[in-house]
Amino acid sequence: MSKVTAFAGVDVGSLGTKTVIMAEGEIIGSAIIRTGINTEENGWNGLNAALENAGLTRDDLAYVVATGYGRISAPYANKTVTEITCHAKGAHYIHPQTKTIIDMGGQDCKAIRLDDDGNVADFAMNDKCAAGTGRFLEVMANVFKVSLDELGPLSLSATEVLPVSSTCTVFAESETVSLLARGEKPENIIVGIHHAISKRVGGMFSRVGVQNDVFFSGGVAKNVGMRKALEEALQIKIVEPRKDPQLAGAIGAAVIAESAWKRGR
Amino acid sequence: MAINQDLFHYPEAAKELFIRTEDITFRDGTRVSAEEIWEFLTKEAPVRFPHAFDNGRYNRNRISGDIALPYSLKDEYLSLTFNDRMLKAKQKGIPVAFVQGGQCVDPYYAAGAIALRPASVNQWAACQREGVTFTQAQVLREDDKERASQSISFEVCNTAGYEYIQEGSLPVDMIAPYSCLRCSDVSYSLEAHRHGKRQDVKLFLGDFPMADQKNKEWAVEYFAENIKRLIRSIDELTGRETTEEDLRKEIILHNEGRRLSREIAELWWAPDTPPTNGKDRRAILQMGGMEVHGDPEASLCVLREGKRFIEERVRKGVKGHGLIDKPARIFLCGSCVFPSDYRIEEGGGVIVGTDNHWSNISTLVEETGDPYYNLAKATLSYPYEQNVYERAKWTAEQIRKSRADGVLFMYNWGCNTQSAMARMLCDEIKKLVNVPTLIIEHEFQASQSEQLLNRVSAFVEML
Ligand code: SF4
Repeated sequence: MSKVTAFAGVDVGSLGTKTVIMAEGEIIGSAIIRTGINTEENGWNGLNAALENAGLTRDDLAYVVATGYGRISAPYANKTVTEITCHAKGAHYIHPQTKTIIDMGGQDCKAIRLDDDGNVADFAMNDKCAAGTGRFLEVMANVFKVSLDELGPLSLSATEVLPVSSTCTVFAESETVSLLARGEKPENIIVGIHHAISKRVGGMFSRVGVQNDVFFSGGVAKNVGMRKALEEALQIKIVEPRKDPQLAGAIGAAVIAESAWKRGR
Repeated sequence: MAINQDLFHYPEAAKELFIRTEDITFRDGTRVSAEEIWEFLTKEAPVRFPHAFDNGRYNRNRISGDIALPYSLKDEYLSLTFNDRMLKAKQKGIPVAFVQGGQCVDPYYAAGAIALRPASVNQWAACQREGVTFTQAQVLREDDKERASQSISFEVCNTAGYEYIQEGSLPVDMIAPYSCLRCSDVSYSLEAHRHGKRQDVKLFLGDFPMADQKNKEWAVEYFAENIKRLIRSIDELTGRETTEEDLRKEIILHNEGRRLSREIAELWWAPDTPPTNGKDRRAILQMGGMEVHGDPEASLCVLREGKRFIEERVRKGVKGHGLIDKPARIFLCGSCVFPSDYRIEEGGGVIVGTDNHWSNISTLVEETGDPYYNLAKATLSYPYEQNVYERAKWTAEQIRKSRADGVLFMYNWGCNTQSAMARMLCDEIKKLVNVPTLIIEHEFQASQSEQLLNRVSAFVEML
């Protein structure tokens, strides 16, 4: 078998480590693992898992780009790039008409506007308030004793949207407990939470100017309830991704790895 | 406990060139030779101030490493001898005034005092702590912040350094700010001082006529009276009488610093790849304000020599230490805070200018005629203190001159005026020069958070 020249993008986020292996512009392997406390080890583990998925070894990798908060401890990487640039490249790869990205990750939330080539034209970021983060939804899922993946489908079965005023993790948790104690249906509260988050992050998106097509990336993008609430609050249509939106940052990192390697040749 | 610290060492190979450079002459007429500076930086200082020699990635003030740039070493020397020099001045009976408000310091020095802004007060305090590591210094700084909140208000930005004055750990004789628009901490500090326990520290407030007064005769005259009042207040401390001629001479001296800074900036901005890194740019341009080292004459010596080195580097096409070719150029707006130059440079950018103190450094004072009137006129015309539209016009001009590709507006949490202005100013700048802008609120911390640096890095990548 002829040797593959492969490229890796490793996105070490606060909740998940996402890794993508690419060759000749195609994704040939990927992995999503839970981020542990050893940042460097997370990257290695993610890389090994994705390589195994692609049927390759480390020797097949020509260039690695690390992104996400864990990129500062990434001795396996040839280059580090912020997740803002990587999400832009990743979303452009998945859906080339993307002009705006809503990225909801484990610990922050970003609005990114792109130019026609997938370069960042403007961005706004919320890393101060828990609204719109995976961690917030994880805490909420715990209150309802369901898994994070179940929140979205549950919210779609709601019969009404209950107002939830808090988007602070601590206060929203106590507000939710009170609503449950009052006998409200969990799905109506969950949809209320999704709507509260959408309204809160709406301001950030108007700052960068929402333009079609809108791509929703990050782990929270898999939540269908959140997606629906955002479409309603921002009065937009979010594109159907043809790849896992949680991988967008890692895909972008792999795209950058391939072009950096080609430039350097 | 073993200390695990990566320390910077000036390489012996750099000594030969450095010791042939000029002495620094101080305001009191004493001198220090380049050889003495070298000895201090390589032997005494690393033992007394290990925190300053920390070479870790998270030390945004770490030593520049541009060892072929003598002024960079001299700036480091002046910073690290702050406490020694201030104590010497105090022994000679020279009063120290704590100033805020972005003003030039000519009148304070004309009256025989030393004027120190919050950052210098903090540097003085930092030099009182010897033998501490970088991490220990950070912990102590966090404790200072907590005490500052208690001695001023929990709503202040906490860069003030005011706590040291209240506690008496820094022998400051006078609190003498101007009540200009830029700084919301001034009012908190004044109020705290009025009710504080250090009533022995003299209080003076320069009443700055606010908003668009620079062309009004009455305002200039009124402010000139304030400057006279300031000088009389300092005279009461020194027991001497400051003359018009003293002030005129001081203005001429400070104008030389301001001129040199402007000339250096023009040189520095010209090449696509600047001749020094961002830290060394900031160091030399700030010296033109004649405040940073608490000794205008010493700053002037370093500026004069620095200009020659910058000229030579630009002529020979020398690239700044650690810069990539043609880095993305960022103009920094806002107040009292800057992101890590090194992190910006790692990402392929460089900070090419700031608006804050550049506003007074780039404003020359008329040298003939009534010096009080001239000083008042110059102070009231500082572009940073004007309304948003005028400030934006001047900033846009600096952006064009420095050939910046983008604007980063940073302000401290609790900095009420700058936070209120940020969006509007950036919008106006965008209209005038059409460059991308990013606004970041900085919460005071001994080291900058990864989230903050992440935004800055993304902005550099975007540019
Ligand atoms: S950050 Fe703002 S409030 Fe604080 S000292 Fe500076 S100008 Fe004043």
